[in-house]
Amino acid sequence: MESVIEFKLPVLGENIEQGDLVRLMIAPGATVSEGQTVMELETDKAVIEVPSSVSGTIKEILVKEGDKIKVGQVVFTADSNGASAAAVAQPPHQVEPSPKRAAAPPAKRPSGEQAAAAAKLQPSSLVQPPSQPLSQSAAPPARAAAAGEFRLQEPRLAFQAAIRAEGKTEEQALPPDQPRPRPAAFSMPAQLGKVAGTEHREAVPAAPHTRRLARELGVDIYEVKGAGPGGRIREDDVKAHAKALLTAVVSAAQTPPRAGHFVEPKLPDFAKWGKIERVSMRGVRRKTAEHLAESWNTIPHVTQHDRADITELEQLRARFAPKAEQAGGKMTVTAIALKVCAAALKVFPQFNASIDMEKTEIVYKQYIHIGVAADTDRGLLVPVIRDVDKKNIVELAVELSQLSQKARDKKITLADMEGGSFTITNLGGIGGTAFTPIVNHPEVAILGLSRSRIEPEWIGGKFEPRLILPLSLSYDHRLIDGADAARFLRWVAEAFEQPFLLSVQG
Amino acid sequence: MPEASLNIAVIGAGPGGYAAAFLAADLGMQVTLIDPEANPGGVCLYRGCIPSKALLHVAKLIAESQQAKNWGIEFPPPKIDLARLRTWKESVVKKLTGGLGQLSKQRHVEYIQGRAAFTNSTTLRITKADSTEAVLTFDRIILATGSRPAIIPALKLASPRMMDSSGALALEDIPGSLLVVGGGYIGLELGSVYAALGTRVTVVEMLPGLLPGADRDLVLPLHKRLEKMFEAILLNTTVASLKEDGAGIRATFEGGAVQEKEKTFDRVLVSVGRKPNSEIPGLETTQVHVGPRGFIEVNKQLQTADPSIYAIGDVVGEPMLAHKASHEGRIAVEAIAGHKVAFEPNAIPAVVFTDPEVAWCGLTETQAEKENREIKVAKFPWAASGRAITLDRPEGMTKLIFDPQSERVLGVGIVGIGAGELIAEGVLAIEMAALASDIAMTIHPHPTLSETFMESAEVFFGTSTHVFRPKRG
Repeated sequence: MESVIEFKLPVLGENIEQGDLVRLMIAPGATVSEGQTVMELETDKAVIEVPSSVSGTIKEILVKEGDKIKVGQVVFTADSNGASAAAVAQPPHQVEPSPKRAAAPPAKRPSGEQAAAAAKLQPSSLVQPPSQPLSQSAAPPARAAAAGEFRLQEPRLAFQAAIRAEGKTEEQALPPDQPRPRPAAFSMPAQLGKVAGTEHREAVPAAPHTRRLARELGVDIYEVKGAGPGGRIREDDVKAHAKALLTAVVSAAQTPPRAGHFVEPKLPDFAKWGKIERVSMRGVRRKTAEHLAESWNTIPHVTQHDRADITELEQLRARFAPKAEQAGGKMTVTAIALKVCAAALKVFPQFNASIDMEKTEIVYKQYIHIGVAADTDRGLLVPVIRDVDKKNIVELAVELSQLSQKARDKKITLADMEGGSFTITNLGGIGGTAFTPIVNHPEVAILGLSRSRIEPEWIGGKFEPRLILPLSLSYDHRLIDGADAARFLRWVAEAFEQPFLLSVQG
Repeated sequence: MPEASLNIAVIGAGPGGYAAAFLAADLGMQVTLIDPEANPGGVCLYRGCIPSKALLHVAKLIAESQQAKNWGIEFPPPKIDLARLRTWKESVVKKLTGGLGQLSKQRHVEYIQGRAAFTNSTTLRITKADSTEAVLTFDRIILATGSRPAIIPALKLASPRMMDSSGALALEDIPGSLLVVGGGYIGLELGSVYAALGTRVTVVEMLPGLLPGADRDLVLPLHKRLEKMFEAILLNTTVASLKEDGAGIRATFEGGAVQEKEKTFDRVLVSVGRKPNSEIPGLETTQVHVGPRGFIEVNKQLQTADPSIYAIGDVVGEPMLAHKASHEGRIAVEAIAGHKVAFEPNAIPAVVFTDPEVAWCGLTETQAEKENREIKVAKFPWAASGRAITLDRPEGMTKLIFDPQSERVLGVGIVGIGAGELIAEGVLAIEMAALASDIAMTIHPHPTLSETFMESAEVFFGTSTHVFRPKRG
């Protein structure tokens, strides 16, 4: 038996099917050990370090930087260290002292017919219940032992990747009194130790043949309702159950083409008109494209504009800026806007909601988590600040500074960017008088801030120079009426003008 | 690599090991079967089920020849040619193990007489019977190393008078007196053999009843008969010490209502259970896990914590029965072949081959009581069976345990001659989720003991032809 082992991209987390290889940290001929980080993979919005599940000397690397790698794809092959000494790289069945064996090799039996029969016996995996844990599934056949070893490691790798995505180490993720997963973490179902065959769930009213059919179809026999006498489960019951499962899966797959995934019109051949370069749309850019198209196609957008006089606020901001600085943050307009919006969302709960069209329900969120769009060299990222209503402006300023830095340093994790109920985007740093931001689906509103500037305001019979902040509120017109949007934005503008309002109403 | 070309090794050629090896070969795998004996068979064929059944057949014949007096046929006391009896027993073993050797050859299973040690998860160093060594590498290895008689350290005595089950089956002599330590199935079966051959047998059991674990109503008829056959059955009793003296082995008893606290026996048979053979050399080089009681831990596919190693039979847990091992062996091979299978029987039959036999499967009354589970029990006494009367053995009983709601049969217990054969129908009924009405409406041949199975189901409905026991309420 060859002692060459394959390392395949393990499951990295829920819904992560592939990633772009941004950094490869191994080379052919190098040794790799289990747990060693072998590459960095950029998935939708986070960069994940992928540890090796195998040890050995790298033989061949089958991917290169820039490749899109799918879960399960072979990344590299290696000569396993352990097996090399024992097997002495000899063909199977090599007998050292006895020559008899070599002289009379076992007759080759599998005729074509038998092979066909064996193939027929192969279970057709129709429906694999998603809940089936990896380690319990029957061993996939015909894999080198080392590959089998890897399979055993898979859940652990997934776990490692998942906690890494949350920015934690294994130690942090597991409470101290919980046992650490051992290297050969083996999920042992209730042992046969007592009385084999009786440790499991109680006898199911189905014949052995029916039970096996269920297993082959990937149906949990205990979930099948038996229509036979005394609740006996018949072959037809299993098939009907499997069919129902399949139909559910298929209909889920066939639900109206998801917005953002509709067929794009065919592109012309640009090269006809001049030289072009095609660059793969990677990670963040691809996800942004998909997500914004989805938002745009799903949500009937309207943008409401308003202006806030922040002359007084600016004085307060300047006065309290050192306080924020001491705490390690920056008292920016965005930080203040967070506080203002949190208060506004409490007054106007329909802006802190989502629409569930499938169930025709409105989901009102009892929490206020606000995303803040950040411009990074990787593209647009939206870290989310949690429970904004429960934090003061200094705290928000500090957290905002930290998150933005994290986003720019590529340290941001998927979890840092999930769960927002409203978004703020501030382009004021760059310029502009107004814009129409796109709502971050499934949220229903987004507030855009443009550059504030001194403008003449007609106050008390004369023009006065005032600092004016332009506000642009885009909203989902399915849930929010124009008048409500105008009221919401007015409330926000007034809160900027009279911060005291936050204490009174917010 | 298609699974057809998988290269697998099976260590241990008992009923689990050879069943696995043969199926693997039938599925087109290359199979190596390793065992210290010259042919497949294992403990079951060489020193267990098979030789004991041959001897029990003889014991039954002797008992019937004596009983025949009641029917007007009298035989003189039997003359026992021990050498010929041994030869016959050995010929039975040889015939069966030789047959298995033939079957191995026909299937092109590479049979190696020797002992295997792991050097890693996929490599075995095999020391052959001729002292040569071979190092072989496999894709998958199945451990079917079985079990051996357990030893109580306090009763360890280096004396030729001491026997375990293997020693008892060797049938060296017919001792005048025999102490059987342990009232489980092995002790009772072998005790019955020696009693039939003329030995005065004393059975000592620590627990309050024989055959611990079996329902008491099934054990009672056997107990009654054994009381007549054996010199004594000492329950709630332990053996405090065993000492060799000139005349034999002196045993001291403790507890129970034993009058004689000390007694000397010509021979002592220790049958206090079996221990798994999980001390496989080199196993520490693999990831295989051995549990606290010495059983190798496996999942429902019989796969150990080491993905390339599977384990089946006695070495993975109770019940330590050949038929459980064979079934597990086949499941393990199917799992290796990539089929979606699991070891999940609804019933595993247990048979005690005494006279009368005791057999049961599925749920027992004892277990239902422990689980506080509602059941309905229907019993058919063999005194109402025409066939049992013709055999002059009316002490038997057939019992069905039902789920009161669905009327599904959950357990079957039988005591009586031939119970071991009859229980198979019970296993099938449970596996097929048969209802009381299914069994009652299935025509059974008359006059046979199998009718008792059908009539038990009729008892459930209070409409048994041969038992008047109307349904209450």
